Amino acid sequence: MECSIKPEAGYDLLQLSGEVDMHFSPELRETILDKIKDGSPLLIDMGNVSYIDSSGIASLVEGYQTAKTANLPFGLLNISGAAMQVLTLTRLDKIFSLYTNAEQFRQEL
Amino acid sequence: MLKMLENIGAYTLTGLEQTGRTLNLLLLVLWELVQPPYRFYTIVRQIYFIGGRSLSLIVISGITIGMVLGLQFYSILERFGSVNLLGAGVALSVIRELGPVMTALMVVGRAGSAITAELGIMRITEQVDALECMAISPNKYLVAPKVIAGMISVPLLTAVFDFVALFGGYFVGVVMFGVAEGSYMNGMIDAVEWEDVRLGLIKSIIFGVLITLICCAKGFYMHLTKAGSQGAEGVSFITTDAVVLSSIAVLFSDFLIGAIFS
Amino acid sequence: MTDTSAVENAITIRDLVVDYGTRRILDGVNLTIPSGQIMVIMGGSGAGKSTLLRCILGLKKPTSGSINILGTEVNGASTRQMQALRKQMGVAFQGGALFSSMSVAENIQLPLREHTRLDDSTIEIMTRIKLDMVNMLPHEHLMPAELSGGMTKRTALARAIIMDPKLLFFDEPSSGLDPSTSAELDDLIILLKNSMRMTIIVVTHELDSVFKIADHIAVIGEGRILETGTPEQIKMSTNVEIQDLLHRKPRENVVDADAHLRRLVGEEE
Repeated sequence: MECSIKPEAGYDLLQLSGEVDMHFSPELRETILDKIKDGSPLLIDMGNVSYIDSSGIASLVEGYQTAKTANLPFGLLNISGAAMQVLTLTRLDKIFSLYTNAEQFRQEL
Repeated sequence: MLKMLENIGAYTLTGLEQTGRTLNLLLLVLWELVQPPYRFYTIVRQIYFIGGRSLSLIVISGITIGMVLGLQFYSILERFGSVNLLGAGVALSVIRELGPVMTALMVVGRAGSAITAELGIMRITEQVDALECMAISPNKYLVAPKVIAGMISVPLLTAVFDFVALFGGYFVGVVMFGVAEGSYMNGMIDAVEWEDVRLGLIKSIIFGVLITLICCAKGFYMHLTKAGSQGAEGVSFITTDAVVLSSIAVLFSDFLIGAIFS
Repeated sequence: MTDTSAVENAITIRDLVVDYGTRRILDGVNLTIPSGQIMVIMGGSGAGKSTLLRCILGLKKPTSGSINILGTEVNGASTRQMQALRKQMGVAFQGGALFSSMSVAENIQLPLREHTRLDDSTIEIMTRIKLDMVNMLPHEHLMPAELSGGMTKRTALARAIIMDPKLLFFDEPSSGLDPSTSAELDDLIILLKNSMRMTIIVVTHELDSVFKIADHIAVIGEGRILETGTPEQIKMSTNVEIQDLLHRKPRENVVDADAHLRRLVGEEE
């Protein structure tokens, strides 16, 4: 469970890797909310996430909602199979903006 | 004859077993108490349940007992021409004996029965098992807050009881029968020693622990007794049992504490 | 024994014996439950299903034998180990076992509030996600006493999966439910297995749902495992007791007249 932020042109890229579980999601939540408070669009790279539990999903939901209120773009990149299944089960795949490459997100900004 | 002996033996065994379980529960509760997380909020809620909601009952019974004592003592003391001892008589009997005992008995009837029924129902509907399966200790979550709340609220209720009972005695003695206010109050203040107050306090703390513990144990260990398989009827059975048992425990320990401390 | 290395076992039970007084409830149960699949433990009432479940959950101490769950030996596990293990297990009890003083949402949140340091907002969202999964979102403020049988079971299920457990136990999911509600619950169980990759253990005697949801079936009878296998294997089983169970053979009409008369008038045979 690692999380690093890379400023890109016009947005911040949050790279997650490993397992996002109940120990880690408070940190994830804080990082996301901080970035949104800074007023920058956020793209979260989920490509290296091997597992995400519902607390991680909940943090993403809260982040997405906060970003939406602040009128900021908020995207999820390269969501992996396991995480996607959880999103589908909870019907969140219909809510989030999902991307397969960062370029796509940048163009929509 | 043999059958009778057998029955006596069986009863004794069950009794010992239950006493053992109750003491064991006390140890478990004490053990849980020293370990975090501490549940202040739950304890406060239990204090409200055991203490707060018994308050009106305590006030009414306190004032009634005080007035009855006033009447009785007045008619007795009048025969010996020493009505100036009325304040002392009422105060001593209330603070040393009647306050703690009556309060404890009221709490048994009002809150103790509810505790047993609640825990018994939680046991037979698998709620206790569910807690255990969630890795939440039922001792800590269910039993400990109740015992602590009992330990805190019974002395407080006793203080309220004492106060209103003294007022009741004052009302009968001074207002109704015209005993001089000064002699009533002075007699009371002179007679009551710190020792008497301490005795009342010790009693009420012990009663508080005793009744909540017995009532908790009865409900909590319901599944280990015959009542465990009897559903709602079993709950009513153990509730009656808990009330009887804790009332007896209060009366008997009242005697023991009195004997030890005086 | 098909699974040797590909599938690891979530639970391994060896020679489990449980005595209750002088009665033997479980008589040497051996059972392995593979990870990530649905294992249904079925059997008639009084066969020892629920005793087996209580042993696995650590609610009952077996007389002898061993139970290994996710690598932890349950007998002889310290309290701490047991607590850690239990956080990976979710249990939906037969009657729901919801706490009657708490609302549906509070019931579901309890494990999170007790065991995690998650923010309130995270807990709220997690609760709603799980409530939505079991289709209880509109009823989150109801008290347990206001719920129907199906709603109670669904709430219990939501509470069981709130911590995203590796193991989910479901005791009699269809008892007391009408067929359509119980079918909904079956679908939900399958969905959970597929998307959350849980190992699911269902204890039931309801045949319709057994064959719908099970990857593996263990049939228990008179304190022993009569047979384990896939639903097809169980259907083809030649074991008489299993066939009886499957086909609910009507009671024999031909009775020994004398014996029957003696039974009715209460004379011991």
